[in-house]
Amino acid sequence: MTFEENMKKLGTIVTELEKGDIPLEKAVELYGEGMKLSAECRTQLEKAQLKITGDGTAQTSEEE
Amino acid sequence: MPVLTVAQINRYISFKIKEDKNLQGIMVRGEISNFTCHYRSGHLYFTLKDKDCALKAVMFASAASRLKFQPEDGMAVIVSGSISVYERDGAYQLYVTDIQPDGAGAASVALEQLKKKLSKEGIFDTAHKRPLPVMPAKIGAVTSVSGAAVRDIVNVLSRRYPIGELYLANALVQGENAPDSICRGILKAEAAGCDVIIVGRGGGSSEDLNAFNSEKVAYAIYNCKVPVISAVGHETDFTIADLAADMRAPTPSAAAELAAPQVQQFYEKLEILERRMKNGALAVTDRAGDRLVSLNSRLSVQSPENRLKIGGERLGGLEKRLELAVMKLIADREQLLARRAAQLDSLSPLKVLSRGYSLVYQGEKLLSTAESLSCGDKVRIRFGTGEAEAEIIGVKENNEN
Repeated sequence: MTFEENMKKLGTIVTELEKGDIPLEKAVELYGEGMKLSAECRTQLEKAQLKITGDGTAQTSEEE
Repeated sequence: MPVLTVAQINRYISFKIKEDKNLQGIMVRGEISNFTCHYRSGHLYFTLKDKDCALKAVMFASAASRLKFQPEDGMAVIVSGSISVYERDGAYQLYVTDIQPDGAGAASVALEQLKKKLSKEGIFDTAHKRPLPVMPAKIGAVTSVSGAAVRDIVNVLSRRYPIGELYLANALVQGENAPDSICRGILKAEAAGCDVIIVGRGGGSSEDLNAFNSEKVAYAIYNCKVPVISAVGHETDFTIADLAADMRAPTPSAAAELAAPQVQQFYEKLEILERRMKNGALAVTDRAGDRLVSLNSRLSVQSPENRLKIGGERLGGLEKRLELAVMKLIADREQLLARRAAQLDSLSPLKVLSRGYSLVYQGEKLLSTAESLSCGDKVRIRFGTGEAEAEIIGVKENNEN
């Protein structure tokens, strides 16, 4: 899962939890999942390094 | 030799000049001076000058209205028209049909024309401008990969938004093929799934902005399915690419900053999400707890003990009421009795005694007359309080009084 996907999922979990009309077991489960996602997001942020891709002409160009 | 009138001379010269093909349908290079626009007719009057000489010129309103730019004093121009004589003043002038800016001016006029055209076609409409994505997964950069722009963009994104991906589409940024190259780059970046695309070049490069002023590039930007940030690196002039883009950045670095949020933001966002999650979970458990308490209390209301208690309370209440009712009844009777006793008391002969009268008994017989008494008789006197035994020591007849 990408950082963005994780953030999105975390957002969904939070919204779900905030609705409140869910069984206690479900809430506990969601909370656990959310905390795990949050930790994962932090790790992703800390380890992130800009990924550079291109159209393949990157190395052959010499003009400006 | 015939004597001629001035009018004849002027008309003749006018005729000669009109006949001369070298003076009709000509183009003259010069600089505009003494420019005036007649406020009512709209005709333009000016003098076309070069280093040494001057030529009067007039441009009628109908021709002037076709001009794509506003002529000004000092402007270097190439003027099209014909020489003709103004017979009244005996002056020849250039009757102008068109004015074109000379040299570099032509390009700038062409640019203005293109701007006007594209504007009319809605390419620059603010309504078409799209908001930049908040969290782009892939940022495209269409520029020369060997230029300074790429380096700046990589630097900014590495620091600011390392979580993202930078897609580089190499493009020529100047020269004849630059517009096509840039258009291809935009299409490639779009096809690669970029969420936002930076199109530009380094600020340090030459002043040749032609590629970014081309119609092709304007349309490529306009038609791009994702937002485009222009980064032409030119502080003063807005290029057509700038006007067509969804956002204009003064430099590639600035474009990168606009394209991506600061990663710090995500830590804050995570904290907020965590807090909300905690509050949400707490609310759910609190609600469950509250429900438990409420059910518990409802249950205990229905317990046998409670029912006994309630029954007991009701019984107690009834007992109390009964007791009160009985006590009231007794009190009422007591009051009545007291009232009757008082009435009785006021009628009692004893009451009379208490006012100083006495009853006199002879044996058990109450005496109301002294007739039957004689000296030495023993009598009993009853007072208001107490009794006394007495002996008669004299009797008097009542009528003696």
